[in-house]
Amino acid sequence: MTGEVGRSSIRSDGAAKTTGKAIFGTDVILPGMLHARLLRSTVPAGRIISLDLSKVVEFPGVHGVLTAADTPNQRSGLVLMDAPLFASEFVRFEGEPIAAVVADTRAIANQALALASLEIEEIHSVGSVEEAIAPNAPLVHPDWESFATPPGLEWPRSGNIVAETSSDPEGVDEAFAGATTVVEDQFETGRQYQAYMEPRMAVAEFDGQRFTIHVAHQFPYNVRDRVAAAIGVNPSEIRVVGHHIGGGFGAKLDTGLEPYAALLARRFGRPVRLANDRSEDLLTCQCRDNAVIKIRTAIGKNGELLARDVDVLMDSGASATDIPFLTSIPMHVFGSLYRIGPVRIRTRAVYTNTAPTGAFRGVNGTHLYFALERHMDHIANRLNIDRLEYRRSNLQPDGCKLPTGQVLNDAGILSEAFDAVEQLAPWNGLGQGPNRGVGIAACMWLTNPMPGSATLKLNSDGTLGVLTAATENGSGAIATGVRQIAAEEFGLPAEKVIVTMPDTDAAAFDAGSQGSRTTHIVGRAIREAAIEVRAQILDTAADMLEAAPEDLELANEMVSVSGSPSKQVSLAEVAATAQANSGPISGTGSYTTPMPPINPTCASGLLFPAFPTPTYHVHVAEVEIDPATGIVRVLRYLVAQEVGKAINPQAVRGQIQGGVAQGLGYALWETLQIDAGRYSQRTLEAYGLPLATDTPEVEIALLEHPDPAGPYGAKGVAEPPIIPVAAAIGNAVEHAIGKSVNTIPITAEHVLEALSNS
Amino acid sequence: MRTKLTVNTRDVSVEAPPTETLLTTLRDRLQLTGTKEACVEGECGACTVLLDGRPVDSCIYATAAAAGLSVTTVEGLCGLDGSLSPLQQSFVDHFAIQCGFCTPGLLMTLNALLEANPDPDREEIENAIAGNLCRCTGYTQIVEAVEAINQESLS
Ligand code: FES
Ligand code: FES
Repeated sequence: MTGEVGRSSIRSDGAAKTTGKAIFGTDVILPGMLHARLLRSTVPAGRIISLDLSKVVEFPGVHGVLTAADTPNQRSGLVLMDAPLFASEFVRFEGEPIAAVVADTRAIANQALALASLEIEEIHSVGSVEEAIAPNAPLVHPDWESFATPPGLEWPRSGNIVAETSSDPEGVDEAFAGATTVVEDQFETGRQYQAYMEPRMAVAEFDGQRFTIHVAHQFPYNVRDRVAAAIGVNPSEIRVVGHHIGGGFGAKLDTGLEPYAALLARRFGRPVRLANDRSEDLLTCQCRDNAVIKIRTAIGKNGELLARDVDVLMDSGASATDIPFLTSIPMHVFGSLYRIGPVRIRTRAVYTNTAPTGAFRGVNGTHLYFALERHMDHIANRLNIDRLEYRRSNLQPDGCKLPTGQVLNDAGILSEAFDAVEQLAPWNGLGQGPNRGVGIAACMWLTNPMPGSATLKLNSDGTLGVLTAATENGSGAIATGVRQIAAEEFGLPAEKVIVTMPDTDAAAFDAGSQGSRTTHIVGRAIREAAIEVRAQILDTAADMLEAAPEDLELANEMVSVSGSPSKQVSLAEVAATAQANSGPISGTGSYTTPMPPINPTCASGLLFPAFPTPTYHVHVAEVEIDPATGIVRVLRYLVAQEVGKAINPQAVRGQIQGGVAQGLGYALWETLQIDAGRYSQRTLEAYGLPLATDTPEVEIALLEHPDPAGPYGAKGVAEPPIIPVAAAIGNAVEHAIGKSVNTIPITAEHVLEALSNS
Repeated sequence: MRTKLTVNTRDVSVEAPPTETLLTTLRDRLQLTGTKEACVEGECGACTVLLDGRPVDSCIYATAAAAGLSVTTVEGLCGLDGSLSPLQQSFVDHFAIQCGFCTPGLLMTLNALLEANPDPDREEIENAIAGNLCRCTGYTQIVEAVEAINQESLS
């Protein structure tokens, strides 16, 4: 063992990324490459009266255009087949593609597109979740009933309600009838734009038979399958090649521009690049959904939580994307953390005439825990009990059951996380003084269980190759975690492990960088593969050393005979010998986390049934409010995070610091107001990302409770740091000003408004 | 129109429309793709290059206006043998990189800072990079990478 696991080994991509040599998707240049642009809807809802592209086509340097009329254009989607490639009769959101133009350069494509003659008759748009469910609301998709779902997958949906998950256990009404106190809240949370620095792009080529699509994408296999469905070819006709990804945070999990680039490459016979400029990227990104959450809790005479009733309305935008899975998440959130009786939950996601929403790090966990933990503060305040004390005295014990019936065997870890933040800075010492406040919030979160694989090959120079379709989206999961796990298996230094870039022609399926899964799943797949590879190494070395395989030891790049260390051969020699005599050494492993058992009748529409490999976290925020401006300054930020095992502590720290910064942006600054279906903010500056001067250094305590199924005990790391931030900040702001702000973001204007409502 | 300038110590002469930005010239004409395009509005700093040592957003700077000046891009930072500069190495060593898309712009801004102020404190570093957006790191490890250089150069 070299001790690679647990060491802050530097990233494999560090040199490439500091010298400008790293090729990101947007840097891919192919010989003969043409440049495409999309003509997009300028209104949120309307009927296309006329579209005349003749001037566009005639423009010098233009190769041609594509519209709905030229394409198969069947509706497709991640789970509900509701999204056309090009709008034909109706447009359903601002930015929806209507046509594509392809030209010699991007500048020519832009100039030509300005000559398009497009007439849209604007119709009344459904601009908010409340409008969507109002009686007699116009339907965003009048033909919703015709939309197909994958075989065997059905869930409740009707009209503007694209997905509904509901659970109505016995005893809720009785508990409310007998309650001493009832506390009720409503929270409204905004959209959050992933705002990765590299706008979305795709480059496609067609060789007469097969497509190759160059991407900077979190989930190459999904690109393959989604493009195949959208343009009507077999998945195996598409090869997806991954390049460095300039950030994704969930927005590069579904397809975006790839199907258009593929169709254009086939139609015009040359490689085609299609890339968003920033404003169209912002307008059309699958942002974190905005939501309205109503929550009511019945409380007994000793402060016990008797029952709860929750109603969540999520904004899916103009198509379903992955939202039908996310309506399940409240079932895993609202009965977690604290002991509670029966919980009734109804979650509806609705269509509106806005850009489709989708996955963003922590998905709807950010606003669901905002509601849960803000509500807990309100309960404690009503009962006149210290907010921390109230939480601690109601913590779920090991073996507790979620409303789904899932048993959390290790829920008691949360209590240790509360201890850990107290050690970083005592609760009673924070938030003291005028205009200061302190807030605390916890969360329990999953490690995404979806499948992955890895193939290991021992090279004849003693290095180890790892072939996987998993992606490095910046987190370090591949550049550090997976590489170090592979190194540890064979007693190699991390520098001697080479992990391939993703290529769907070469590596087996991997479910992409989502849900903090890569280190956990691919790391475990590597350990599975290593069993086979190790056996091949030892068999070969046994022949070379004339010893029995079971008497051999593998350490420090050498295989030696136990007890006589002078009898040894190097891994390079073993690899070369095997290659010459019995064939190269290689092996493959796969893994997917088994789903924990649940009660299948607990709810309807539960497409995402359980939270496997849970982890437990506590955040504390100390803030200071400027009463004149309403500006909230974050003075201190504490995180206790449970990670199973920190494979690379500095990389873990980077995930926590970066995740908290995104959470602060969500809580305080980042704003996408929707006005009659249109975003009011249309540039990065107006949107309001956190700057270096806004972001405090996060103080971190790591808890390690190794997962027996995880590689060296590792669980998911990257998502939890963003989840409780808005809740902790909201609680701190309320503590500071003595007024409740139940919206996200909590902008300076909101604070001033709350201060003036006395 | 023809513009002569120096890019990473090499003289170049480009034929480009007068409105062409330095970013487009670098990326599309000279194929120096290390300089990144992220907003083209002068809002994010991903496209930062040095013009006679001064950091500018190349996405809103006309190539024609750079005539006769010396441009340094991220490709011009490492040694002739490809070795990393102390700042580049410190970025690697201190986990100042995640996705790396903001990294070239940050390195250029920070090179200019260190040139002007070899021993900046935390606040000076944060102020210097307040025009460089990084969505991944939350900035702390970037600041630490710069601080580490100071400590090394002092010791
Ligand atoms: S690309 Fe130039 S400032 Fe953003
Ligand atoms: S490292 Fe990704 S934007 Fe800075």
